[in-house]
Amino acid sequence: MTEYILDGLKAFAVVMFGMNVGVILTWVDRRQGAMMQDRVGPERAGVYLPKRMAQGALLGPAIGTAAIVFYLAWAGRDLEGAAYTGRAMLFSQLAILFTWLTFLVIAGRIRRRGVKNPFDAFIATLGDPRRFFYAGFGAHLACFFVAGLFRGTPLAPTLKQIGYGGGAGLLAGAIVLGGAYAAYRIRHERVRLRLAGLLHPAADGLKTLLKEDFIPPNSDRLLHSIAPFISFFPALVVLAVVPFGDTLCFGTENGELQLTQLLETVPREGVCTAGAVNLQVIDLNVGVLYFFAMAGTGIVGAALAGWASDNKYSLFGGVRAASQMVSYEVTLGLTIIGAVMIYGTLQVDDMVRWQAENAWGIFVQPFAFFLFFAAAVAESKRIPFDLPEGESELVAGYFTEYAGMKFAMFFFSEYIAVVSASALMTALFLGGWSVPFLDRDGFHVVLGDNVIWEVALSHGSVIVLGVLAFVLKVFFLCWLQITIRWTLPRFRYDQLMQLGWRKLLPASLINILATGLVILLVQGGSAQLVSGLRTAGQVTDLVTVVLIIAAVGSLFALFLKPASHRQGLAATSAQFASLRGGTRSARMTP
Amino acid sequence: MTQQASDYQGLGPQKVRGVVVRRPNRTAGVQAYIPELSKGLGITMKHFFKNTKEYMLGQRPDPVLESTTDGVNTISYPEQRRPYPERFRGMHRLTHRDDGSPRCVACLCCSTACPAQCIHIEPAEYPEGDERRGYERYPATFVIDELRCVFCGFCVEACPCDAIRMDTGIHAAPYDSREQFIYEKDLLMSFCGREGDQVTENARHEPGESTHPGVDRERHGH
Repeated sequence: MTEYILDGLKAFAVVMFGMNVGVILTWVDRRQGAMMQDRVGPERAGVYLPKRMAQGALLGPAIGTAAIVFYLAWAGRDLEGAAYTGRAMLFSQLAILFTWLTFLVIAGRIRRRGVKNPFDAFIATLGDPRRFFYAGFGAHLACFFVAGLFRGTPLAPTLKQIGYGGGAGLLAGAIVLGGAYAAYRIRHERVRLRLAGLLHPAADGLKTLLKEDFIPPNSDRLLHSIAPFISFFPALVVLAVVPFGDTLCFGTENGELQLTQLLETVPREGVCTAGAVNLQVIDLNVGVLYFFAMAGTGIVGAALAGWASDNKYSLFGGVRAASQMVSYEVTLGLTIIGAVMIYGTLQVDDMVRWQAENAWGIFVQPFAFFLFFAAAVAESKRIPFDLPEGESELVAGYFTEYAGMKFAMFFFSEYIAVVSASALMTALFLGGWSVPFLDRDGFHVVLGDNVIWEVALSHGSVIVLGVLAFVLKVFFLCWLQITIRWTLPRFRYDQLMQLGWRKLLPASLINILATGLVILLVQGGSAQLVSGLRTAGQVTDLVTVVLIIAAVGSLFALFLKPASHRQGLAATSAQFASLRGGTRSARMTP
Repeated sequence: MTQQASDYQGLGPQKVRGVVVRRPNRTAGVQAYIPELSKGLGITMKHFFKNTKEYMLGQRPDPVLESTTDGVNTISYPEQRRPYPERFRGMHRLTHRDDGSPRCVACLCCSTACPAQCIHIEPAEYPEGDERRGYERYPATFVIDELRCVFCGFCVEACPCDAIRMDTGIHAAPYDSREQFIYEKDLLMSFCGREGDQVTENARHEPGESTHPGVDRERHGH
């Protein structure tokens, strides 16, 4: 019984993930593309909240979170040893993080909106808001160094208690302060909740639902109506075989739940045998084949839509879609052969495990990753491969004759296909749920035989980190696909076919050959080669970490860089605006 | 070799001379596509990160003052508005006297001057006993069809009393029906100038004041 409930929950979570991320991507695509082209994009949708409700929405969660922090601190006060140290460290680091973040945001607000009360005036005297970040960063480092310096000394227990109690108090205080300040600063009686435009997809969905469902008079009514479903369904169900987390252990031998296992550290090697829950809807032994089989069905939807619409442009679009998707499916299938040869399995979960143990697929099969990425973009019929849609030639291609929610289903299925392709690419090439240096019992930074840094983590937090890593990797790939969509112009149709059959296909064949040769070499290689490869695998983890740190660091550097805009008062309107105090503050009606 | 513009000047039939445009030199780097692709991606990403940062931190360039800089400098109407120049002709307003009555004396100069014939005024006499009776009239109705108006400003020029102005700074609003564009006297009198003023600074000489010329239509047989 429990199994069925868990399966249902997993399926629900995955479907919700795919659909929500897909629908939100329809907005992210436009918004991000606009930001690349120096526009703002759709950001105006909003709902009005009464002042009191908005204040409650800010204060309630803040106080609730603070209460949870206090409860956790209270419940864990009797913990011993490493668990207590870990929690003290977590509390103090989170407290520092939330404190500087809260003050940074408050200082930025004051700088933009002006000083309103003595507290604002005090914050304003502290100067540039960036100072809060620098101070917080220093405090993070200092916290680490103090913990390292005093490890094992008689002072350590006192410091731990200070870090534990003080950290929890400061964390709760910072959260409540942030919520209270935000609630206090609400001036108007109605607050427009915009979330940077995140409500747009909801508004779009509502709008398409209410629109007229037009069916062309001479079309095949049945096929015209089921085509969107045929196109929508496979995009969603392929997510079933992609694992989104490591195996979860919280059951006992006789199938009962035992949630306390989540708080304990599990052994590093092996997976629990009893009551294990695979974080995957269905663990097929031919998982990858299932993916391609289902994804291939999507062609039918597009081709049917084109044929059933009784419109020559739709038909062109449908034919183009069919030929393009079939062509790229070949490449798609052949590129992963190399990966399958190395992993030695078709089961997606085992592939992820291989990558977690050795090295991510992008390092062992970089060429295949690139080919797969290109083919996956072509498979989802998106720019630069959006020939089936081709609005400059075919009006809107195979969905020209669709309106309302049926059109939206094609639209959403395209984006859900982006999500599911990203999820598969994550599982095949980016290590799925695996985090560099994270094993089932915690972090082990090991190079060769030297252990550099180790920390034990509870089973629950390891799993959560894995799921978060998976989601972030999927988001990153989606983001990359959208960036490509706004960068490249559309191919010509003959170029598309040339690229598919005469470039990507031979390249993937060569990749298979090269991979086979390398595998033969390694199999016949000495023990030294094998241990060298193991170290190389650890180095790839290190490279990943360094790359992530560099990316995050450069993002911080970008955000800390002051903005410099040059004023140009050549135009009359600019001269007038400068007299009126700028455009932003100009209120033309009294 | 580029063609100088001066070559084409002068008398006689002009000779059109073609310029051989060489095919762009396609280096291996361009042909390989991937390096150029990553360059393009770099440019879009640079714009994306920079603009996102400025959006999040409220550092977007001012769309008018800093329109020459890179970045998102679109105007988010109606939260942001391009300030109209001082002499921008917006919706009409009827200015007030100190006591709140219209300055208009219903002389019909504006409706006469109006090339679009969008002003309709029905003049009326002040009631018996009013100080102004006999000196001037007032508009019983004052209607402007803003849909007909061409915003030429002739009415403002024609007005001898500074009673009609177009300095509200409000541009023509979109409405659902034609009736909504018919602005009546009360609405026209409710508008203010840019600075929120309804009384103009021009001196107004009311009957009985020492500066008033004292000419009376009834007693002087005008």
